[in-house]
Amino acid sequence: MSRTAVITGLGFITSIGNDRASVSRSLREGLHGMTLFDFCGNPGLPVKVAAPVRDFDVASTNTRDWSWPRGYDIPRETLRGLAPHGVYAFCALEQALADARLSPADLTDGGTGLFCASAGSAFLLHHHLAQSTAVNFDRGHPMGVVSSIAGTLNFNLAAHYHIAGPVTGFVSACASSTHALGYASDEIRLGRQKRMIVVGAEELNAETVLPFAAMRALSTNPDPATASRPFDKSRDGFVGTGGAAVLILEERDLARERGASIYATLAGWGQASDGYNVAAPRPDGAGLRSAITRALADARVASPEIDYVNAHATSTPVGDAAEALALREIFSRQNHRPVVSSTKGLTGHGLSMAGAMETAFCALAMKEGFTPGNAHLADIDPACAGLDLPRESLSRAPRTILKNSSGFGGSNVCLVLTRPE
Amino acid sequence: MSEPSDISSSQRPAPDPLAKFPQPVRAAYALYQANGDAAALDTVVMAVVRDFIPRHLAPPVEQPLADSARLMADLGFDSLAIAETVFFLEDLFGVKISNAEIMEVSTVAELRAFIRAKLARTPAS
Repeated sequence: MSRTAVITGLGFITSIGNDRASVSRSLREGLHGMTLFDFCGNPGLPVKVAAPVRDFDVASTNTRDWSWPRGYDIPRETLRGLAPHGVYAFCALEQALADARLSPADLTDGGTGLFCASAGSAFLLHHHLAQSTAVNFDRGHPMGVVSSIAGTLNFNLAAHYHIAGPVTGFVSACASSTHALGYASDEIRLGRQKRMIVVGAEELNAETVLPFAAMRALSTNPDPATASRPFDKSRDGFVGTGGAAVLILEERDLARERGASIYATLAGWGQASDGYNVAAPRPDGAGLRSAITRALADARVASPEIDYVNAHATSTPVGDAAEALALREIFSRQNHRPVVSSTKGLTGHGLSMAGAMETAFCALAMKEGFTPGNAHLADIDPACAGLDLPRESLSRAPRTILKNSSGFGGSNVCLVLTRPE
Repeated sequence: MSEPSDISSSQRPAPDPLAKFPQPVRAAYALYQANGDAAALDTVVMAVVRDFIPRHLAPPVEQPLADSARLMADLGFDSLAIAETVFFLEDLFGVKISNAEIMEVSTVAELRAFIRAKLARTPAS
């Protein structure tokens, strides 16, 4: 493959900021997005903390009740099919287009594709099904399906922007948007598309997040300042977040021809599965290790060249330890200690959108010259020892980044970002 | 962004289907509910139709919808928008509208007349 995929646009609706400048500041200064959060009016709930998106009101089942920040123009005929996280995605996509200096008219000639990742809207799905089951399916809301099932992002955004290239969605849980990025880069590297838009988005509400409490995956720490602390000895689960992140990928020569500003090269990717458990990661990290090895090979990058790893680490006891083990195996053998951090200490865990959000963070760090630290890490778990885990962000730009993601069923997906030549 | 004492709440308001409609439309709905005023009913139906027109085809607010305007051919409704309009009117007036019935409706005037006739047969709930 002689073609190269580069990142030329970013869009953020996140718990740590709704624009690039705010996100950059939060990452540099370690400003987290966590707060005490009332999921459903149940004070007995053990889960007290979440990382919500600010300045949106999408809590109603009726789109007419929703509001979003000024400056985003969502026509009713588009809003009608959106889930709450679709509104986040719309806004993040508008930002990414502006950032890449593209207009909607640039997306319609078949040369641009759209890959999306979300779990769908459990909130709206539940609402619409409850409405239908109450009348034994005599009637149902006409937008019930397209606004709520997994795929709602790609259905709606493809229609709104008249995207005529490949459009699909990815469902590998917390690896979904990293899968989307990997396959999107292949579309460009294989010469099938000149440009790909990748979207990851999720909702923060009881229906999306609280089912994870039944799996004992959520933190019950009531302190917003410490509930999400990847790699810490006292970590006890992840903190939920919602929002959307969008990346614009373009073929490098075409990006240069139109004078686009390039954040980073998505140099390669790899994936491998644990073959182990429906939900728990394989404790020895073997699947993740294979995915890392494959990503490095695809990118033609040797492991000592990696100077920053943006970890998947969600702040769960088993997951962080397995990832630490995989990273030690990969790097320690080369006597190499890249900086490792999990930005989930600031943002919480964005599920399907995590990979896109964190890859966008990496692109930002590379362009703007900083390396994110490990917020809230006080006491490194011995199981995670041997890694370079700075607390504060560093004021130097990583040159070569490894981004890890892992999802249910043991899907591991890794990306390698390099500085644009 | 990091204030730990901030209590965020996701209280979900009970949806009022006309909450975002202009006050005269809400008043017309109240009038129709109170005494079955047919002109008030027409006002509500026209406002609902206008609300479902795609923005790029929507006539200016001060310009009344032409009676002869066809929902799909002239006003840009797609089949889902027709279904949405029906669903909305069903909820608003507590009636059930069949596919066969709505397939007979093509223009704004036909929809207005259909709703009048439908509600005449089904008293307001």
